[in-house]
Amino acid sequence: MLTFLNRIFVGPFYARNAGTFLVIVLLAFGFLSAREHKALITAALGSPFLLAIVFVLWGLYLLKTTSFVRQALSAPEHLFLQSFWLVPNVTRYVLWLAIQIALLFPIIAYAGWMVQIATTYQKWDSLSAIVIYVMILVGVGAAMNDHRLRHPSPDTFRLPNFTFKLPYELFFPTYWLRHEPLSFVLTKAFSGLLLAGVCRLYPTDDYDQRLLLIGLLLAVLGHSQVGGQVSAFERQYLLFLQNLPLSWLQRFGRYVVTYGLLWLPELLILIRNCPAEIRLDYVVWLWLTGWGWIMLMHSLAYKYDVMPEGWLTGVIAAFVIGLLTIMFGLPVGAWLVLGWLGAVGCWYRSFTTRSLT
Amino acid sequence: MLTVSNLTKAYNGRTVLTVPALHLPSGIHYFRGGNGSGKTTFFRTVAGLLPFSGEILLDNQFEINRDPVAYRMRVNYAEAEPLYPSFLTPRDLVGFVGKAKQSPAGQVDTLLETLGVNKFWTQTTGTFSSGMLKKLSLLLALLGTPQLVLLDEPLTTLDIATAARLFDYIRQLRAEQNVSFLLTSHQDISLTGLDLTGTWQVGEGVITAVTEQV
Repeated sequence: MLTFLNRIFVGPFYARNAGTFLVIVLLAFGFLSAREHKALITAALGSPFLLAIVFVLWGLYLLKTTSFVRQALSAPEHLFLQSFWLVPNVTRYVLWLAIQIALLFPIIAYAGWMVQIATTYQKWDSLSAIVIYVMILVGVGAAMNDHRLRHPSPDTFRLPNFTFKLPYELFFPTYWLRHEPLSFVLTKAFSGLLLAGVCRLYPTDDYDQRLLLIGLLLAVLGHSQVGGQVSAFERQYLLFLQNLPLSWLQRFGRYVVTYGLLWLPELLILIRNCPAEIRLDYVVWLWLTGWGWIMLMHSLAYKYDVMPEGWLTGVIAAFVIGLLTIMFGLPVGAWLVLGWLGAVGCWYRSFTTRSLT
Repeated sequence: MLTVSNLTKAYNGRTVLTVPALHLPSGIHYFRGGNGSGKTTFFRTVAGLLPFSGEILLDNQFEINRDPVAYRMRVNYAEAEPLYPSFLTPRDLVGFVGKAKQSPAGQVDTLLETLGVNKFWTQTTGTFSSGMLKKLSLLLALLGTPQLVLLDEPLTTLDIATAARLFDYIRQLRAEQNVSFLLTSHQDISLTGLDLTGTWQVGEGVITAVTEQV
């Protein structure tokens, strides 16, 4: 039964969050060397405040996993999982613990590294705190999942329904906000904070516009999973879309509006934090470039069934190539043209190419 | 009315449907077959929902891949087991689909009355029963001015009174606008009271004629 449950909860969780994991790995291990990272862990082991910050981040990750399990349990195609309730309590709870351990694996692995360093420096109090906290995370996660299984339709807080006719362009943003709120908040918070961060960093040293482009590249890659989410949402709930008499350009235009709305907060952040040395029109070009590249990722992800590991490889390759190209000084105008042309070209190609499957 | 040539549909390299040649004259056609026989795959393919190899021609004029917009303007489809985002209302969905299918003035009101969707017009689909979802999917499939409507299991979960009104409406469309229909059903199709032009057996990914009146 564990194998079956892993296929329902664990595999899809990692597949869906592949993009987020990539960004975290890039941030945590790309910018910091192993030595710097070790120094950071040592500092956290010696400071209750820093350790508390680490614990808060792990708590947020726990919420992400339990939120995913809740969604999976309430999905119409998983209604049969209600019969899992009939499994004896102890067996069921043990299974939940195993699932939760698998979902929390990145945290447990990182905690293992911290424990190893804590042992070296004989920080027994921090070591105990980490071990106990990880055990609490696993236990609480399992308990939350089981509670949701036994209470399938709780009277929870719900966003009010709209009293106006919702246009198609808002279907996915509404779905994302209502049904995958943690993914929404994390994606937008990561992107927004990153762009604000590079804008604030710009005047502190002798940086040039390449710093802003690198920030934009990471913010765009932070949205890499959105195309797959849009595709999954429409394939599950809006099957009739493919039957509608809309040309490839009309369909593309609607997605342009949808992604423009989703990407709009970044424009406000860029304008608000625009460094004094940078012209305002440059950050607008920067934002338009990001919009184009997000559209390109949508065009690539929407029609093709890309395997998560393949997508992850593509995102890593895009990051490396993008970084090198930025460092060689490709201007924002060229990025803008490449992004939008690529988006339109890939979208058109996906509608004119037929396949058997 | 509909001509299918050399159609092959495969999932992950496994062929699930093969139609070397099939010509359906204008009228009402009933497709029968066991679970997993390929009826829904055939309907979804004809509706333009699934990629495939081959050719599907409507009225010797509109090919599904060469004229994707014109073809889809004339071919509508209702799912056997419809599912919509729980936060959307019939008003949202009908607004969008009706605009795309260029629904004539007054059509939505007529269909709302016929299928009884007016009773839950601004209610979110998350609160719907399976019968209410079915009514909404049928309404969406009848929007615009289609020449061919594919109804996958239209009798399932539909109450008797609504089913009677629906089949009256189908008869009316058939008589007045020469609209053709393809139906599947695991229930007694004679309950619909429709005059069938042809009956087709779908099994093991192949379609064969049972009766056909041309």
